[in-house]
Amino acid sequence: MLLLCAGYAYLTSNLPSRDIQNSTQPSFFPWIIVACMSLLSFALLVQGLLPHFNSEILARSGIPAKRIAIGLVLAIAYMVALPWLGFVAANILLFAGLMYLYGEHRPIWVVIGSIGISVAVFILFREIFQIRLTAGILEGLFR
Amino acid sequence: MSPDVLDGFFQATQYDTIFAVAIGCLIGLIIGMIPGLTISTGIIIVLPLTFVLEPEISIALLLGLYVSGMTGGSFSAILLNIPGTPSATATAIDGNPMAKGGEAGRALGIAITASFVGGLFSFLCLFFISPILADVALQFKSPDLFSLMIFGLTIICSFAAKSLVKGLLAAVIGLAVVTIGQDPMMGTQRFTFGQVNLTAGIHFLTALIGLFAIPQLVDNFADIIKGTDEGNTTKIKSVFPKIADLKQMLLPVAIGSPIGSFLGILPGAGGPIAAFISYDYSKKLSKNPEEYGNGSPQGIAAPESANNAVTGGALIPMMTLGIPGDPVTAILIAALLIHGLVPGPLLFVENGEFAYGVIFSFFWANIFNIIIALVGLRFLVKVLIIPKTLLMPSIAILCVIGSYALRNNFFDVYVMFSFGLLGIIMRWLDMPTVPLLLAMVLGRQIEEYLRVSLIASKNDITIFFTSPFSLFFLCLAAASVFWSFWAEHRSKQEQKQQT
Repeated sequence: MLLLCAGYAYLTSNLPSRDIQNSTQPSFFPWIIVACMSLLSFALLVQGLLPHFNSEILARSGIPAKRIAIGLVLAIAYMVALPWLGFVAANILLFAGLMYLYGEHRPIWVVIGSIGISVAVFILFREIFQIRLTAGILEGLFR
Repeated sequence: MSPDVLDGFFQATQYDTIFAVAIGCLIGLIIGMIPGLTISTGIIIVLPLTFVLEPEISIALLLGLYVSGMTGGSFSAILLNIPGTPSATATAIDGNPMAKGGEAGRALGIAITASFVGGLFSFLCLFFISPILADVALQFKSPDLFSLMIFGLTIICSFAAKSLVKGLLAAVIGLAVVTIGQDPMMGTQRFTFGQVNLTAGIHFLTALIGLFAIPQLVDNFADIIKGTDEGNTTKIKSVFPKIADLKQMLLPVAIGSPIGSFLGILPGAGGPIAAFISYDYSKKLSKNPEEYGNGSPQGIAAPESANNAVTGGALIPMMTLGIPGDPVTAILIAALLIHGLVPGPLLFVENGEFAYGVIFSFFWANIFNIIIALVGLRFLVKVLIIPKTLLMPSIAILCVIGSYALRNNFFDVYVMFSFGLLGIIMRWLDMPTVPLLLAMVLGRQIEEYLRVSLIASKNDITIFFTSPFSLFFLCLAAASVFWSFWAEHRSKQEQKQQT
C-alpha cells in the first residue's frame, strides 16, 4: 500500500498546473488522496492488521493454487486472442477451458456445452440486442 | 397530488414496462435461488441487455430482478440450507429445519408472503419519504453535498468492513481510480499515460463487473471442490400459507418491515444485517422464543420481511440524494447514468414522471414477485439442478460481453479483468470491495463539490463548518467513524476474553 501510495504521489507531483487565480489545481484532490492513503497505510501497519499474503490465505479459501494459476493463464490467453479470434471462437475456447476447470471432464459435454452456449449467447446479443460483437476469424459464418 | 405521480403511475402501468418487471422478477427469482450468484452479479449479467431498452423499461426490469432476487435467495436457503444470497442467511436458520420436517412448501410460502409484505411496506416508505427528502435535498449547496457524500462513504466503510481502516483504505483506492481521466474542473488529463482509452476515465461498470463477478467465479471453484454444490431433491406440496401461519407472521413482519426499510436507507447496512437484527428482535419479543431455530414460521417471516424491505429503503437515498444504499443500487445509478439520467434531488424536479414511474415499477415488482413465486415455484426450483460447470463459464462470457458492449471496446474487457484481479486480491487481504465501489460512484462528485466549495469561499475551509447541513453530515461522519472504532475495539476485547 505504501508503494502504491508513493507511486501515486510521484505521478501526482508530475501533473500539470494551471495559472488561474483562486482556483484549485488539478493535483489538489489527488494530493488529498495521497495524504489519506499514506495515513491509513501507516495505521494499518501500526495495527498489524494486514494478514500475510501467502499460500496460507489461499489454502484457507479451499482453492488449489494450481487451479487459480491455470485459470489466470487461460484468462490472459483469452484476452490476447479475443480481438483476433472474435467472440465466437474465443468464447468457445474459454468456455471449454472453464468447464474443464470447474470439473466437467466428459469431452462430449465440454464440446456441446461450449459450442452451444457460446454461439447462442453470441447470436442473442448480436442479432436480437443489436450489440456489435466481432466474430473475428468466423466472421464469414455469421455475416 | 402532483401530476407527476399520475404520469409516473401510467408510465409504470404501460404493458411493456409491466412485461419488463415480470421478466425481471422471473430472472431475479432464478438468480437469487442459485447459490454463488448474488443479485449484483445477476444485474451485471442482465445490464448489457438493457442498453437497447428505453430507460423506464430498463430500470423496471432491473427493479424486478432486485426485488425477486431477495426472495429467490430464501429458496435455496430453505431447501438446501445454502443461502442463495447473503441476505437469506438468517432465513435458513428456521427455513431449513421446517423443510427437513417435510414442510418445504409451507416454509417457502411463508418466506414469499413475508417478502411481499416487507417489500410493500418499503414501497410506501419510498413513495412518501422520497419526495420530502428530495425537497430538503434541493436546499443543499456544494459544501453540504460534499459532506453528505463523505458521510455516505464513512458509514459504508463502518458497516461493510471488519476493520474500519481497511474499509477506508478501499474507499481511498476507489477515489484514486476516479482521478484517472479528465480533471472535472479544468479538463486537464490526469494519470492517462497518453492512453486514449483512459481520457474518459475508467468506466464504473467495467470496474464493477470485474470486482464482483470475477471473485465470485473464483469462489465457486472452492464450492465445487468442497462438494457444497448439491442439487435439490425435496418435493414441494402447497406453497400457499394457511390462516394460522398468517396470524403467526403478524408480529415478525411488523418488526422486520420497518427495520429493513430503515436499514435500507443507511448506505452499507444492507439485507444481511437487517435480516439478523429483525430475527433477533422478533425472537426477543416472541411468546415462544424456544421454537426459533427449530423450524418456527416466525423465524422465517422476520428475516424475509426485513431483507425485502431493504430494497425500497435502499432506493430512497439513491433516488433523492444520488447515494447508493448497497451495491445493487450503485449499479442502478450506473444504469440511469447510461441513459443520461442523473439520480438526485433534481430527478424529481426535472424528470418527475420518470422518478414516480420508478417508484410504481417497484410496486409492480413486489406484486409480480409474489404472483410468479407462488404460482411458478415448483418449476422454478428445477433451476437448482443446473450444473455449475455450465453456469459459471456462461457468467464469465456474459461478463466479457457486458464489458465490451459498454463502448464496443476491447480495452474495457482488459479493465474488467484487472479489476477482477484487484477484487480477488482484496478478498484475500480481507478488504471489502463495497467501499471502493461506492467511492467510484461518488468520487467525481466529491471532488467537484469540494473544489467548487473552496473556489466559492476563496479557499476558506470553514465553509464546511458554517453551513448547518454540512456540519450535521460531518458530525454524523465523525460519529460513524468513532462508533466503528469503538465496536471494533470492543469486539477484539471480547475475543481476547473468550480465548
